[in-house]
Amino acid sequence: MNEMEFFIDHSRCIGCRACMQACEECDTHRGASMIHLETIMRADSVQTAPQVCMHCEEPICAQVCPADAIKKTADGIVQSSLKPRCIGCSNCVLACPFGVPKYKAEINQMMKCDMCYDRTSIGKGPMCATVCPSGALAFTTREQIERTRQGVAIREWSFGGEVVKTKVNVLVPRHVHRIDVSVEQLGMTSTDEYDVANLLMGEPNGRK
Amino acid sequence: MKARWNSDVVHAACWGLLVAGILLLAIYFGSGRLRHFDAALVPYTGAAVFAAFGCGYRFAMWLRRPPTRSYWFSGWRIFFRPSRLPANIARLLQLLFNDFLEQRFIEKRSKLRWAAHWLIAWGCILAAAVTFPLSFGWVHFQNAPHDQHVYRAFFFGQQVFTFHLGGMVALLTFNILDISAVMVLTGVALSLWRRARDRGAIAVQQFAQDMMPLLMLFAISITGLFLTASTHLLHGLNYGFLSMMHAVTVIFALLYLPFGKFFHIFQRSAQLGVQFYKDEGQKGEQARCIRCGEAFASQMHVNDLKNVQSDLNIHYELPQGRHYQEVCPVCRRKSIALAQDGTWRELRTPETTRTLWPDHP
Amino acid sequence: MARPPVSIPEIVRQFGPTLNRIPANGWKADQEPDRIVKTHCCFCGQQCGIQLKVKDNKVIGFEPWEDFPFNQGRLCPKGVKRYMQDEHPDRLKNPLLRKEGAGFAPVSWDAALDKTAGEIRRIQQSYGNDAFALLGGASLTNEKAYLMGKFARVAVRTANIDYNGRLCMVSAAAASKKILGIDRSANPWSDIPKAKAILVAGSNVAECSPITTHYLWQARENGAKLIVLDPRMTPIARNADLFIPVRSGGDIGVFNGMLHVMIERGWINREFIARHTTGWEQVEEVIRKYTPEYAAKIAGVPASMIVRAAEIWGPAETSFLLHARGIEHHSKGVENCMAAINLVAATGRIGREGCGYAMITGQGNGQGGREQGQKCDQLPGARDIENPEHRAHIAKVWGVPEESIPHKGLSMVKLFEAIHDGQIKGLLSICSNPMVSLPNNAYVREALEKLEFFGVIDFFMSETAHYADLVLAGSLMEEDEGTTTNVEGRCIRHRKVVEPPANARVDWKIICDLAARLDHAEKFSYNSPREIFEELRRASQGGVADYYGMTWERIEQENGVFWPCPEPGHPGTPRLYEGNKFGHPDGKAHFQPVEWRPAAEEPDSEYPIVLTTGRVVSQYLSGAQTRRIGALVDQYPQPLCEIHPLLAGKMGIAEGDFVKVESRRGSVTVRANVVKTIRPDTVFVPYHWPLDRAANNCTVRVIDPVSNIPEYKICAVRVSKVPPPQDEIAQLEVQQGGVR
Repeated sequence: MNEMEFFIDHSRCIGCRACMQACEECDTHRGASMIHLETIMRADSVQTAPQVCMHCEEPICAQVCPADAIKKTADGIVQSSLKPRCIGCSNCVLACPFGVPKYKAEINQMMKCDMCYDRTSIGKGPMCATVCPSGALAFTTREQIERTRQGVAIREWSFGGEVVKTKVNVLVPRHVHRIDVSVEQLGMTSTDEYDVANLLMGEPNGRK
Repeated sequence: MKARWNSDVVHAACWGLLVAGILLLAIYFGSGRLRHFDAALVPYTGAAVFAAFGCGYRFAMWLRRPPTRSYWFSGWRIFFRPSRLPANIARLLQLLFNDFLEQRFIEKRSKLRWAAHWLIAWGCILAAAVTFPLSFGWVHFQNAPHDQHVYRAFFFGQQVFTFHLGGMVALLTFNILDISAVMVLTGVALSLWRRARDRGAIAVQQFAQDMMPLLMLFAISITGLFLTASTHLLHGLNYGFLSMMHAVTVIFALLYLPFGKFFHIFQRSAQLGVQFYKDEGQKGEQARCIRCGEAFASQMHVNDLKNVQSDLNIHYELPQGRHYQEVCPVCRRKSIALAQDGTWRELRTPETTRTLWPDHP
Repeated sequence: MARPPVSIPEIVRQFGPTLNRIPANGWKADQEPDRIVKTHCCFCGQQCGIQLKVKDNKVIGFEPWEDFPFNQGRLCPKGVKRYMQDEHPDRLKNPLLRKEGAGFAPVSWDAALDKTAGEIRRIQQSYGNDAFALLGGASLTNEKAYLMGKFARVAVRTANIDYNGRLCMVSAAAASKKILGIDRSANPWSDIPKAKAILVAGSNVAECSPITTHYLWQARENGAKLIVLDPRMTPIARNADLFIPVRSGGDIGVFNGMLHVMIERGWINREFIARHTTGWEQVEEVIRKYTPEYAAKIAGVPASMIVRAAEIWGPAETSFLLHARGIEHHSKGVENCMAAINLVAATGRIGREGCGYAMITGQGNGQGGREQGQKCDQLPGARDIENPEHRAHIAKVWGVPEESIPHKGLSMVKLFEAIHDGQIKGLLSICSNPMVSLPNNAYVREALEKLEFFGVIDFFMSETAHYADLVLAGSLMEEDEGTTTNVEGRCIRHRKVVEPPANARVDWKIICDLAARLDHAEKFSYNSPREIFEELRRASQGGVADYYGMTWERIEQENGVFWPCPEPGHPGTPRLYEGNKFGHPDGKAHFQPVEWRPAAEEPDSEYPIVLTTGRVVSQYLSGAQTRRIGALVDQYPQPLCEIHPLLAGKMGIAEGDFVKVESRRGSVTVRANVVKTIRPDTVFVPYHWPLDRAANNCTVRVIDPVSNIPEYKICAVRVSKVPPPQDEIAQLEVQQGGVR
């Protein structure tokens, strides 16, 4: 199993946007960046959220496409919409559980990350994962990942009752087998763990 | 599932037969009960009837898909709302001009792509507009009784206009297929040029999907032009063989029409419907994201999608009566990163956080 | 007459910064490059490998260079978009002469060079040799840095040459030299993943040296604990095992407090200290009073954090210390660094695999730029300009009498003070933009305006060049070739990618042509940068930074060679101090006791808030290059004032409001970014912008007595909400100093 695969570890992301800048250089959509990078809530944290297309085994984007314009290639890559078919309805944009497709109003077409098909189909790494300075995005072998990371690479998600399996792997601690996504908010306790003022507040518990 | 599929096929086949039947009737009556129908063109007609069946079948099949059906019915419902109809018709004309006549949305993708597509599209439309009526016997020409140099054109048996043999109209009328062939060939050449050089196109194009149709158009156009050349320049050299070749290419394309890339000609009409759907959505209530509270789509769209998803067995229902479809794409991306990061916090929680908040999960 | 010839908005209208958004030949995917050149990014000291695509002598794109070991294809957004500085509409293509009331007009190279040489002569004849100064830069190649030093000492014969590395690396350099004996990161980056405890002090790694993030993560995947010291919760701090939100200037509290706990708990390598170090007793003596509670008051953090840091660092099997400008940009910058390095020396964890210490260089050639003799106190090979043996060696290489080499000159800030005082009358600068980068901008402007002659060599019209009498159109990194030395001390090759456009010239040629006009043609008769490197090798021979064994071929074949490399067959020295052999003549490390002292300007009732400055990931230094690249400007268009909601609330400041950050020296008006990720007693403004958006309007012109680095990281300000500025400067584009 020395096949190259895509791995994502959102927690490593430093928000530098090298991925977005490099994505523009990909020949299948040169000049338009397809990867997403959100700053989750700058007022509270510097945490950021990178998102590439996860290339679902049964892509919901394709299922909800009225024009039958989204196709998966034999190697499992969910391509951008077929230009002759896409009617720009945005069903895929709204239905994708990962929030990946982008509707480009000026050309009335949906475009999305195709894992740099111009590059990966000839053995090169995708732009974003090649440049990513933090290793949040990586394109390598499973063997290499298992050797260099604490976590495991899984590809199963749930969104409410919907279980989604993807080609792209996500890195999680060893005991996790599926990421259950709901409406997640920053800060899991009522106290704000990223607030520097809180960190400075007196002596932490149990230590003098 | 199987039963459903079977019923879909029967349903679609009925539509296909209906379309083919209408075409046959139109040929029968349009050609003056076959009086103006040229028996030599039977193979063409047969292929055309098959194509009509195929397109009807395929279109009906397509409309059986839940998302397509949803858009189809919503689109028409919105279009035919009496209070809006006049405005809608005006809007339709505008859309037809931009998206169909000029095809400006393609120009914004790439000028070269637009030029190629426009030439191919209008070359084909012109050619089809001439050949189908001619071969179905809907159009025929007669000499004017009083003047050998004046032609009369009949459409469905009615004389529509007359023209002088030496004039521009005659020149255009008799050479229109050559003009369209040149347009198509130019478009095909531009397309091939682009597809051979653009690394993005090279990466995603497939022979059957993208090259075959171009080769077909090339074959039709070039054999057609050879026919003209044979007639006017080469005293009919190999005319029989060439006309057979031309017929084969055309028939092949007609048979391919419902199943390959050419079918987008019919699917594309949905683009117009979507426009009306979007216009309507913008005027109506907006759906607000349950995470950030921002408007992100029309409520109509979100509701329709939920219905489509339930038809497709997609279950985005969240606990506490919430629905993942009500989370905007931006918040989905944020939620995913937070969920993933959350799985790590336990192991990587900063020491300070752990000591400050010992009950931290 | 070094004033702008017309109004600054007028100059900006003509010369930019404007934004380049589209690559040469457009966003097309149908062009095959003529060639793909392996070279390095010019933005920052990491010097990542990158390949540039060239067609018709134009750079049309890039391709990651995955085989280069340091970054393995990784790049930050600056690296990705660096190629957009090529084929830029703002590019200077001719020498430009100041025309009062009209702006700048193109002149011939002969006229420009004659005028420059003539002015050097005139000023030196009237006021003495040292009245003409030279200013270099740490983004120059080793060859150019060497040439600048030689040009100053041989052709111009002025003592006054310094460089903008003075604003960057000198505190780290001095501290490292004092304790360990050599001014260089002690270890290659490949040691970082092998460390079990990592201390990052004053470095926003994610934004200022993004590639290093991956090394930190690798270490953490191997089980390392990460401690981060920063007044702001930066992206790496968010995930650190221990984030210590230290008060700016309070770092010594943390370091000494840690050492106190380590001594108390026996986490000191007494055997190593006895055999390989000196001065421990004095350190122990000083440290005694730095109990966690005492140290915590200095550091402005809970004492438990300091204890915990010691618990992580003290008993670790292997460890790595990284520090950067956050602790170095202080009037006690050298002391800050020494206190940090004491932590390394006290554990003896240095000079072996996974154990060591590094300073994160900021500028492109931050390391090499300071070794080749463009510092006011150094000669090539990191030699001491006051050491007779060193002088003699260099005199021999240059073929000049030893006594003709000037002695130590003024460092950059003092040099500007001498200009302000009227002692220095002429200045030629290259690769430097002090109108953005020096503290107290108003003072810098006053100084420049007093110059009788100011010449600038640059490829864009920098904010400093506005004040020039003559601007000489020089070359971009990719238009010339040479070597730089990266953050690890690895000397690498920059290849020539394209020719300079039109009438612009490669920098080294401009310097050589000027030397010829100053009657030193024979000492500057190089035909190529390679010949300069050959001379540099010999000049560095026997010095600390010894390049003698390197050739360009070796550097290319081996993906860089680490100095010292004293002999042709020598493998280079990726890791210093192996076998505990330190750089001092006695072979030992010299502990330096450090006492905390306050900053030059601590907050008071009038100016109650600490201002600290720094970088953002999308901009490089003074922004002369990166403020011209559209994609980078879009990423972070204008400086924002980061302010904690507790502090903002007191002044009624909300997110996006305009605030005036005002010190005793000047002010900057920017939008507020209300964030909980900064200490509530501190505000942060990044410094890459000019004019009314220059954070350095506020900073204080006080320098470290040893390194002469300015105190960028702390000054006292007050912050108030103001209406949106409407003046002429505010109306400019954001990259020009306007606001949006």
